[in-house]
Amino acid sequence: MRALCWEGVGKLAVRDVPEPRIRAEGDIIVKVRASSVCGSDLHLINGFLPAMREGDILGHEFMGEVVETGPGVRRLRVGDRVVVGSVVACGGCWYCRTEQYSLCDNSNPQPVFTEKLWGHSPAGILGYSHAAGGYSGSHAEYIRVPFGDVGAFTVPEGVPDDAVVFASDAMPTGWMAADFCGLKGGEVVAVWGAGGVGQMAARSAQILGAERVIVIDRLPERLATAADRLGVETVNYADTDVLEALREMTAGRGPDACIEAVGMEAHDVGPIYAYDKAKQTARLSTDRPTSVRQAIMACRKGGTVSIVGVYGGLVDKFPLGAAMNKALVLRMGQMHAQRYIPMLLDRLATGEIDPGYLATHPMSLEDGVRGYELFEKKQDACLRSVLHPAS
Amino acid sequence: MTSNGTRWALLGATTVTALGVGAMAARRRRRHQPDRQDGWYVVRRGITVDRPMDAVVGFWTDRERLDRALAGWATLDQLDDNRWRCVASDAAAGGSEWRAELTVTGPGRLSWRVDEGPVPQQGHVDLLPAPQDRGTEIRAELRYRIGGPLRRALGLTRGDDPDQGLRDALRRIKSLIECGQMIDTRRDPSGRDHRQEAVTDQLREKLTTGGRA
Repeated sequence: MRALCWEGVGKLAVRDVPEPRIRAEGDIIVKVRASSVCGSDLHLINGFLPAMREGDILGHEFMGEVVETGPGVRRLRVGDRVVVGSVVACGGCWYCRTEQYSLCDNSNPQPVFTEKLWGHSPAGILGYSHAAGGYSGSHAEYIRVPFGDVGAFTVPEGVPDDAVVFASDAMPTGWMAADFCGLKGGEVVAVWGAGGVGQMAARSAQILGAERVIVIDRLPERLATAADRLGVETVNYADTDVLEALREMTAGRGPDACIEAVGMEAHDVGPIYAYDKAKQTARLSTDRPTSVRQAIMACRKGGTVSIVGVYGGLVDKFPLGAAMNKALVLRMGQMHAQRYIPMLLDRLATGEIDPGYLATHPMSLEDGVRGYELFEKKQDACLRSVLHPAS
Repeated sequence: MTSNGTRWALLGATTVTALGVGAMAARRRRRHQPDRQDGWYVVRRGITVDRPMDAVVGFWTDRERLDRALAGWATLDQLDDNRWRCVASDAAAGGSEWRAELTVTGPGRLSWRVDEGPVPQQGHVDLLPAPQDRGTEIRAELRYRIGGPLRRALGLTRGDDPDQGLRDALRRIKSLIECGQMIDTRRDPSGRDHRQEAVTDQLREKLTTGGRA
């Protein structure tokens, strides 16, 4: 079969690779119909998240059709159209039992690296380096999904593939970000990042009761899309002092909750950003926490900062004093896909959330390298390239 | 030109720094060394299984489930009501074989003694209820003997570290009880050729073996 492989830092290629096979009773094989690029892939491609190997198949946000099931699979049948959570969860450990699926104890078969780096190993993730288990990814014609009954969900009729695909990652990540905010109704929520996850977080915050949502980014076309599709307010940090703007927009209080949906390669303007970028480029630091710093500084006293952008290692100039003295609640994590996907599919079916507009660049798997280039360089107003391996 | 005084100062500073770094490295190494008792290295490891104690004990008495779980890793033959013979192959140590006798010594208590294997070892396991409805704590104490620091270092480089083996075993047991399998991503599809795959397998082994349990 054909698959999009990582070939070294900054290098991708579509190659012939063997097809996956059922390896355990709970496995399913999915014929991939839609597989989206994701901002966190860029951290892997550019070598900021470690433990990639030449030949690794990328991709973790996808949907498709079940073509084979292991003997232990009970809930799914061949022919089912399914969306699969990016996070692999066994369904049998304490974390899975308490619906904290991205912390699964048993789904990362290669836990030593993350145990050394983070103290404990969280769940494995499909197509996400050997630190996350070494699973083959979804930018391929077929993919093996372990614990199929736990991680794959049949999708409603009538919802297009290019909308359902975002129920794999962007939607549950955005929903969890808003869920972390503990909204009760009437709050002002600020969201850093107008990419797929940021826009889904903004929509989720609206559904969960936020009265106003303010989205912050530097790309005018993304901000315009967010304003147009979701009716949010926007701030362009390239030409506005974000902290001043948010303070003024909230009559001095600051947002009640701040969602960070950017991650370790955040951009900004000014000398501190240049210093952070130089350090990261020289691999003297792993992450650029620009938007986390802003979120902490902007958040109202006693508010919540919710971080779903991906970070891998250590950051500096972290405003811990601001977080402590303002009594902020900090919540963060990889999303618990399996907890949210069934509920999100219901909302997709009713049209309450419609993420289909994120798929600005549908294309064949063979065009995948170009798809990532468009996405990374933000060319042609690209929000997401979605690959169609089966086409 | 540098004066003699400056040279001596530099030499002194270098010596003090080297001694300081050496002392720190030695202290760090001592902290990571296992305890010693009567000529044995002693390590204690624990893992929490999200099942009540009855279910953990039941796993060992469900022969069909156990055989399926241990397939490709170990065989277990029951000798009498309380004793089993276990033969395990350790891929991390080049396929070396371990033969051990396991004995149930009380309610929730099991001991083992390796009588054939690269390293002499024995130990015991206690099952305890975990707090807050978290299941069962499996607590193991392992004693092993490797003669001398040099042999110990050589043994460890060959992958014969019994502590590492114990941590692997505990993680395997937890996974088998909680989800019925040890997940494995070896031989999943990739764009690697055979040579690249062999190197990647070595990395996988490093990232798989040991862990905190």
